[in-house]
Amino acid sequence: MMRKTFYCCAFLLLAGTLGKGQRTPDYDSVVVPQNRIDARDLGYSPIDVIPDGESAITALTVAPNGNVYGATSGKRSHLFVLNPRHGYVQPLGFIPGATAVTSALAVSDSGDVYIGSTPAGHLLKYTPHREDEQPLRINEPCEVTDLGSTIQGEGILALTIDRRAGVLYGLTFPSAHLFKFTLTTGTSADLGVIAHRAPQGEKFQTTKMVSRMLVLDLKGNVYASGEDGFIFRFDPEKQALEKLPVQAPSIPGREPWTRVDAFLLDPSGVIYGGTSDGYLFRFDPESITVSNLGRPLLEYRIGGLVRASNGKLYGVGGDDDDMARLFSYDPQSASYEILGFVDVNRRPYYSWQAYVIQAMAAGLDDTIYIGETERISKLYLFYPR
Amino acid sequence: MNPRLRYGQAAPVMILAVLCLITPPCASSADKVITLDYRIFPGLAEMDGNWAALTVAHDGKVYAGLACHGCDGHMVMYDPATDRVTDLGNLTRLAGEASLRIGPQSKIHAKFGEGSDGRIYFGTHAGLWFNYARVGTKEGYPGAHWMAYDPKTGKFEDFGIGPRYEGINTGAYDPKYNRIYGLTHPRGHFVYYDVASGKAVDKGRINNFESICRTLGIDDEGNVYGNFGAGQIYKYDPRTDEIIELPLHIPIRPKGVSLGRDYNKSETHWRTVVWDSQEKKFYGVDESASLLFSFAPHAGQYGEVKSLGQLCVEGMNDRREIPYATLTLALGRDRKLYYAPPSKEFDYGGSQGIGVSHLIVYDLESGRTEDRGEMRLADGRRVIGLNSADTAPDGTIYFVGAIEVRGAPGREIESAGKIGNVPYRLALVIYHPKTR
Repeated sequence: MMRKTFYCCAFLLLAGTLGKGQRTPDYDSVVVPQNRIDARDLGYSPIDVIPDGESAITALTVAPNGNVYGATSGKRSHLFVLNPRHGYVQPLGFIPGATAVTSALAVSDSGDVYIGSTPAGHLLKYTPHREDEQPLRINEPCEVTDLGSTIQGEGILALTIDRRAGVLYGLTFPSAHLFKFTLTTGTSADLGVIAHRAPQGEKFQTTKMVSRMLVLDLKGNVYASGEDGFIFRFDPEKQALEKLPVQAPSIPGREPWTRVDAFLLDPSGVIYGGTSDGYLFRFDPESITVSNLGRPLLEYRIGGLVRASNGKLYGVGGDDDDMARLFSYDPQSASYEILGFVDVNRRPYYSWQAYVIQAMAAGLDDTIYIGETERISKLYLFYPR
Repeated sequence: MNPRLRYGQAAPVMILAVLCLITPPCASSADKVITLDYRIFPGLAEMDGNWAALTVAHDGKVYAGLACHGCDGHMVMYDPATDRVTDLGNLTRLAGEASLRIGPQSKIHAKFGEGSDGRIYFGTHAGLWFNYARVGTKEGYPGAHWMAYDPKTGKFEDFGIGPRYEGINTGAYDPKYNRIYGLTHPRGHFVYYDVASGKAVDKGRINNFESICRTLGIDDEGNVYGNFGAGQIYKYDPRTDEIIELPLHIPIRPKGVSLGRDYNKSETHWRTVVWDSQEKKFYGVDESASLLFSFAPHAGQYGEVKSLGQLCVEGMNDRREIPYATLTLALGRDRKLYYAPPSKEFDYGGSQGIGVSHLIVYDLESGRTEDRGEMRLADGRRVIGLNSADTAPDGTIYFVGAIEVRGAPGREIESAGKIGNVPYRLALVIYHPKTR
């Protein structure tokens, strides 16, 4: 009887806290350790911040000088910069004609920031100029040069840059064209289509499955995933787009609905990727082989993947209706560590948990930047050991 | 403009903290007792909580949602004409999920709404969350169902799952636009179900998981209001389908002063609001210190908020250990606000020891507040704590919450568990202002 009463009381105590979404000390055991993470508002609160509904971070990239540039999606898209020396987010203005910028942000050797806009599909150039001395721009347009449309009628889904060659590569939506844009001449060329049809599905499922990112290898070849999860390569020497005989990993039968969410070039020359089904894989561009490294999480998707100077990969998993978790993968030991929910708890000053994440970037100072992709979003700073 | 990172609050917090520590307790209201009528929910002693889920329909019938953590919630109805309580159904079964053995439909966690068709609309909610380890898993909670109960036929209509994997933590129904609104848990999204079109819509994130605003207020034009950040008011306009963040804040106490549940929340909101159709304004109670305010949404450019005082047990006003506010605010037909705060931090099985609920009355005409004393049943048992309220057409004020259960020789105690060391069960607590 006493035992029954004890369990009853223990259960009710548990129910009394867990049942009502109250934060108890044991919650700290399921989130990223609080001494390794922090968050930034997208501007200077409470007025000069990128507004809610326009703040979902969908692109992050690091400039050669270490500045981190980000772009948002929503009612309007905004460009922002974080100079690691200052540590705060500086909004640079809304991006004219854009409601989304998805993994379509790239910085050239000279520091120019290239933006692939959606839905207009224009390529835009932002040239930083004494940013530290500029006022925060929220309701003013970002000062960009419109370089025009690359593929008529298409939005730009992803961008990457070959800094040495001075060439931008892009992937368009919805028709899945790969294109290049030469910085010196300002000319673009259609390199071909990597998915000719949408996979079989319900009548409302009409989207072609292509990767959400592009990646370059050490030789300047460009890679994407396309139809049936096959890896496509554009070789700039041959000026040829090829469908390689390898696919992103998936359960047999799920290939048509597989895409690569995130790519990462390792200094060793291999390329890591994360798929829509949540698999991490290694792709060797020399041997044209794919190794499936398994799934770190139960959730679909790997919304971001970066490498820290400790040699580990850090990634975020979870779909739009999930609660995102951070993980790491150590190529040396071939082991995962699940770091937990992306949550910052600095009560009584601030506290916020990111549930959807679609952008990550590794800073030159070894800070990992994590972009939240929700109606109210923040930029998270994670410090790898 | 939102739950943004907030700094610079340390000084007022410290001053308030010192003030609170030197304020002596006052117990004068403890001598006063108010006796209330009650009805238990037969066969449902296991039900362990009720939050907000209480609505009186135009015909005087009272609908309540009874929660059960780790098991199935129930919807019940009390008909004062026949003095009968009816169990209308097991929510998991009504959702068609009884045989799945997954996270059950354990609660209705928000007020019901009565449509112009006479149906009672609501959304369901989960019970246990296991630190969100089961969110999105096959054994976890599948998501809240939007539903309607038709008193004419006695049948339910299940409109299906709205937010996937999430519950309706907070909700309100608007008869004008025929929509059920909700705030989801855990991800704090503003969602709605449009009954006529059958469309479920997600307008995105508004709160953090441990600070989801507990009441959505709807005005006479169908605009929906809630809180985010440090008591800031937002408005959803159904004409534009947009959420607008208003430059308006309700009165709150700085975070870190009040102890109990408020201490561990990152945002501060109104706990509850009620709409006054006569004055066309809301009256509400904040969660941090039970601060009473009015919010006139049609006044000025954005609306107008006025501080009206504090609704708490007499002597608690400036104290740090003021219990977390309850969801029991009701506007009487006599132009008085009725509110039932507990004398100790109350949350059913998660309460901080045993206390007694008080009845506080605020007269809208005179602006006077009165603590009518401890609420007890006719046999002297305590009304430990209440967490929902509504007013009947005849002026009766109904509450649902925890009453003390006492054993009798040879009879097993029927209870939901214990608060402190006192067995409790849920009951409908009835107050008749006219017969006072």
